Amino acid sequence: MLLNLKAKKQNSYDAIVVGTGISGGWAAKELTEKGLNTLVLERGRDVRHIEDYPTAHKDPWELPNADNISAEEAKHYKKQMRTGYTVRESTKHWWVKDTDQPYVEEKRFDWMRGYHVGGRSIMWGRQSYRLSQMDFEANLRDGIAVDWPIRYEDVEKWYDYVEEFAGISGQTEGLPQLPDGKFLPPMELNCVEKVLKESIMDNFGRVLTIGRVANLTAHHNNRGPCMFRDRCIRGCPYGGYFSSNASTLPAAQATGNMTLRPHSIVNSVIYDEESGKATGVRVIDAETLEELEFYANIVFLNASSMNTTMIMLNSKSNRFPNGLGNDSGELGCNVMDHHLGVGASGDIEGFEDRYYWGRRPNGFYIPRYRNLNGNNRDYIRGFGYQGGGSREAWQRGVRELAIGLELKDLLKEPGTWTLGMGGFGEMLPNHNNRVSLSEDKVDKWGQPQLVFDVEFGENEYNMREDMKSDAAEMLEAAGVKNIETHDDPGGPGLGIHEMGTARMGRDPQTSVLNKWNQVHSVKNVFVTDGACMTSAGCQNPSLTYMALTARAANFAVEELKKGNL
Amino acid sequence: MDNTNKIDRKEAIKRTAMIIGGAVFAPNILGILKGCTAQPGVDWNPVLFSNDQARLVTSLADVIIPADEYPSASEAGVPAFIESMINEVYTEEQRNEFLEGLDSFAENSRITLETDFFDSSDERRYEVVYNENQSALEIDRNESASFFLRFKELTILGYFTSEIGASEVLRYEAIPGMYDGCMPFEEIGKTWAV
Repeated sequence: MLLNLKAKKQNSYDAIVVGTGISGGWAAKELTEKGLNTLVLERGRDVRHIEDYPTAHKDPWELPNADNISAEEAKHYKKQMRTGYTVRESTKHWWVKDTDQPYVEEKRFDWMRGYHVGGRSIMWGRQSYRLSQMDFEANLRDGIAVDWPIRYEDVEKWYDYVEEFAGISGQTEGLPQLPDGKFLPPMELNCVEKVLKESIMDNFGRVLTIGRVANLTAHHNNRGPCMFRDRCIRGCPYGGYFSSNASTLPAAQATGNMTLRPHSIVNSVIYDEESGKATGVRVIDAETLEELEFYANIVFLNASSMNTTMIMLNSKSNRFPNGLGNDSGELGCNVMDHHLGVGASGDIEGFEDRYYWGRRPNGFYIPRYRNLNGNNRDYIRGFGYQGGGSREAWQRGVRELAIGLELKDLLKEPGTWTLGMGGFGEMLPNHNNRVSLSEDKVDKWGQPQLVFDVEFGENEYNMREDMKSDAAEMLEAAGVKNIETHDDPGGPGLGIHEMGTARMGRDPQTSVLNKWNQVHSVKNVFVTDGACMTSAGCQNPSLTYMALTARAANFAVEELKKGNL
Repeated sequence: MDNTNKIDRKEAIKRTAMIIGGAVFAPNILGILKGCTAQPGVDWNPVLFSNDQARLVTSLADVIIPADEYPSASEAGVPAFIESMINEVYTEEQRNEFLEGLDSFAENSRITLETDFFDSSDERRYEVVYNENQSALEIDRNESASFFLRFKELTILGYFTSEIGASEVLRYEAIPGMYDGCMPFEEIGKTWAV
């Protein structure tokens, strides 16, 4: 009895954070900085900033087979390779092996995962946009799904707060649909991007701006600046972009209040029927398979949308037979992503005597312009574009008629300037798009596999028509030649923006979380990763996760002090 | 679809015609016609290719990217790179397809040249490869569709990601340190490696 109590005490903390990615890192930073003794759990291995970026300084010729992984290895990454760009010799250590981490696809779902300290904050695209007032009002206005329980003014100061720490470079534009932030100096558009910018403003009244990106264009909070290597995905030795490893976790570590435990797979949240609260989490040590319990006053679930929901679905009790906090039956439903893979590209004449210096890890952004004043298209919501201009390099040689010295000389000079853009469209929340736990399939740690039953709907497909033809139209107006359009939606998940499976809402009967990201019925459990999203917007969502996490952590600590949790 | 093909094709021919007709390039064309290099040996230990296949791969890569003031494809290690790609990165099906294509190429060029490709003169090899490239581009714009274009792709990829190709023939900066989106080309001087 005495021994058990002692063990429990040793395993007790003020707070537990599950996950170390974009949102988990923020939860760790905020809670520890506010004085909470915090256990941070990560299912994968440790990754220490700089020393664990093994390929960061590799030159192209140091990577075997031109950075392609072998066919033998590729067998382990069949789903992770569906993006076509993520699993390379220089990056394969960041992606899970699908053979180790299986899931069930009732319909195709491209679930891209990185299980290690820092999670996908190492490999993310770093595009950082705010949601706007119209995004928070969208469900209410359209009468679909449920209303967000918050509005832009609830999050605005938290956007400011996280931007000032993370460091987001960008250009202010004064657009209501894409609020400006606290930006570091913007990166530069290149020659042909400036032509496109002017043309689409003159011809369509639309804005083209440089991508707002979590790369530092100036020294910032003892990090950076960006060296324009465009090797962010390998891990940045300069701390030139925001990642948990470079930013939030070191801040949490510096407080002395963080205990980081890698190789810790969270099985479930422990729910205490008497108090009506969570008392901690059950963990499986990924290496020893030992089963452990850790206790805390508050639990932050930041395991990434699908895994957070998996943990909640797996947290069954008499009170919650269908998963923790699942009174509404919405847990696991409303899976969202962004739909992409549609756009256009072509060649643009001129500027043959101009070139660029540096590999800009960023492109341009065309903010949403459709359906801003009423629903005047045959779909609701909208899309933005991400794109870029560049000069063709040696790769074009394959399709040249030249051979031999002519070919070699030709390729020493850059080719035509090209411009391309691809749309990122909003995917609507739909109750029928869901993940659930497999009843018979488990992984090698005995955890139930997730089953995906998700598909794009009519609204998304209707939107894609505009996403394709508008892109071609804007390029054509700018004088772009040889325009080719493309449209391949792939599977949901390919946007790597999974959202919505434990959505926020006003009514516990139709949502899982309240306006503070608290589980409605278990107030000391907070969910602040993508699972909380009530609608998707068409903007890249990570910045919103950061802001909501900082906001919820601040609230949690205040409530804890008041004795409410 | 057909229409686009034709437009691209016309465009491609126009560009190439300009290049071949351009005075700047004339000395280089003469260079290859007059060239008389030693018959290619094999400077790596093939694990997949037979000796003849290795010699063919070496000489074919060197016709596509010969030496000028910078080394040739084989001097940059391209043949070993090609073998490694075929052996490790290609699936078994792709590998077999490639090896069949290589053998067909050997056979067809032997008929045309009345000797093995690698035993033929530089001039005749160039002719065969030029024609092969032209007809491959005419048949299909998909660059990986034919054996020849796949081989050309591997040669170019191997060459321009090798240390010689990337950092000598092209311009390479591991740490650019800044971005300028519109600077005079002459200040950079060459295509960026990456």
